[in-house]
Amino acid sequence: MRIGLCLAGALVLSLAGTAASAANDQTFDRQVPAQPHGVVEISNVSGSIEVSGWDRTEVSVHAELAGGSEGVEVSSESGHTSIKVKQPHSFGHSGGARLQVKIPKDSELDVSAVSADVRTTGVLGVQRLNAVSGDITAEIAAADVELKTVSGNLQIKGHGQPARLRASTVSGDVHLEHVGGDIEAGTVNGSLIASLDGARSVRAHTTSGDLRLDGTLARGATLEASSISGDLNVHASAEGGFEYEVSSFSGDISDCFNATPEHTKYGPGTHLNGTRGDGAGHVRLKTMSGDVQLCDRH
Amino acid sequence: MTNPADTDARKVTSLGSLPQSIEPPHDLWPGIEAQLGDVPAARDGALPTPRRPLRMRWLAAAAMVACVATGVWIGRSLLPGTPGSGMVAHNEQRPPAAASPPNTVPHEVYVSDPRYQEQRAALVRELQARLAALPQPERDKVSASLASIEKAKADLEQALGRDPSNALLQELLVNTYQDEMRVLTDVHEASDPGRGI
Repeated sequence: MRIGLCLAGALVLSLAGTAASAANDQTFDRQVPAQPHGVVEISNVSGSIEVSGWDRTEVSVHAELAGGSEGVEVSSESGHTSIKVKQPHSFGHSGGARLQVKIPKDSELDVSAVSADVRTTGVLGVQRLNAVSGDITAEIAAADVELKTVSGNLQIKGHGQPARLRASTVSGDVHLEHVGGDIEAGTVNGSLIASLDGARSVRAHTTSGDLRLDGTLARGATLEASSISGDLNVHASAEGGFEYEVSSFSGDISDCFNATPEHTKYGPGTHLNGTRGDGAGHVRLKTMSGDVQLCDRH
Repeated sequence: MTNPADTDARKVTSLGSLPQSIEPPHDLWPGIEAQLGDVPAARDGALPTPRRPLRMRWLAAAAMVACVATGVWIGRSLLPGTPGSGMVAHNEQRPPAAASPPNTVPHEVYVSDPRYQEQRAALVRELQARLAALPQPERDKVSASLASIEKAKADLEQALGRDPSNALLQELLVNTYQDEMRVLTDVHEASDPGRGI
């Protein structure tokens, strides 16, 4: 009986929320019930998307609509909440909105944007954030996170919790703060900067952008970084030390522990191999023409 | 002489725990010198021992050539095409910023699979349409990234032309091809109408 009443209430609220606002509305507000571990999908072309996690089991949407947008469509059913800024049907108009959304903090979040900037805070569940030219700023916890943008920048703030993080951009910069767990990040000609906090596995690469990794690795961690023409700068300590393999075709290799790089026996190139501490972890750094600097202190 | 009991008791957990060198229990050189002095006599006795290292060297050389050939075949037959094969050849509206540098590798070696060529051409056509729809600053950014990839590929191919068996260059070239496909796919996915973008 009680469950039935809840379901009926949710249905009524869902139907009410599905109704789109009129095209001329300047603001839009809606609250719909949601499950604590439900899925929330948000899409918006331009403007901004701000998502924050809270303790309530409902989703709150506040939007400031741009002139071209036709409203916001909100629906919630079976633990799945969808928020979509409706686009004008006429070609050439790109309506957008400034969205402020509050979701249950353990929700799974899926965001799609074009030029809208995306920002998340306090969301503990899985996050999948995509944009074309918008910047993405995310606060992450221990859940999996996947961030992807084409020309925007990525900024991730972690708390050293072991998460699985995948971050990629084509021409933007990548900035990761206090990230742990398994990290995979890449950019073509942007810079990639990361502060590591007990990372277990790190894979980072750029094509022409510089790459800098600082911080701590977990015992037995692996770190692989490569670039074609960008410089690699790694200052990472690890409990139990690490074995290292550094190689470059035409770049310079340097370190902070007075090891001497050797020229490749056959053909051009230099390499630097060795062990720091007990050699529990593994570090591999590779470039074609970029310089490489390795240090086991940060 | 190593005590077997000691060997069993010792557990090797990493390469780093192994000793850098092991000193022999006594000077081995007198015995080696004596055997070297016996080599001509051994040849007279038609012993096969001296031929074995030579055969092993030939086998090693053949294995190395086979590995290099396999790597080159994978790199040139299975991986995405050259700057000239897709991004340029199938796109006459290409932005000037993405112009590729001269390539030292023949065009044909990258476009042996017609199905791949078609798929790549379709991706490139979509890419150009989406680039055209982007605002100028964003279009310039993405075009600059594509130009960076083209330049990286050209530089790597040029370096491989001088040092074809360089494993580092081959690995970096593979990574660059993967990056190029990631960029094409990302732009394609971002422009998928089904996703509401």
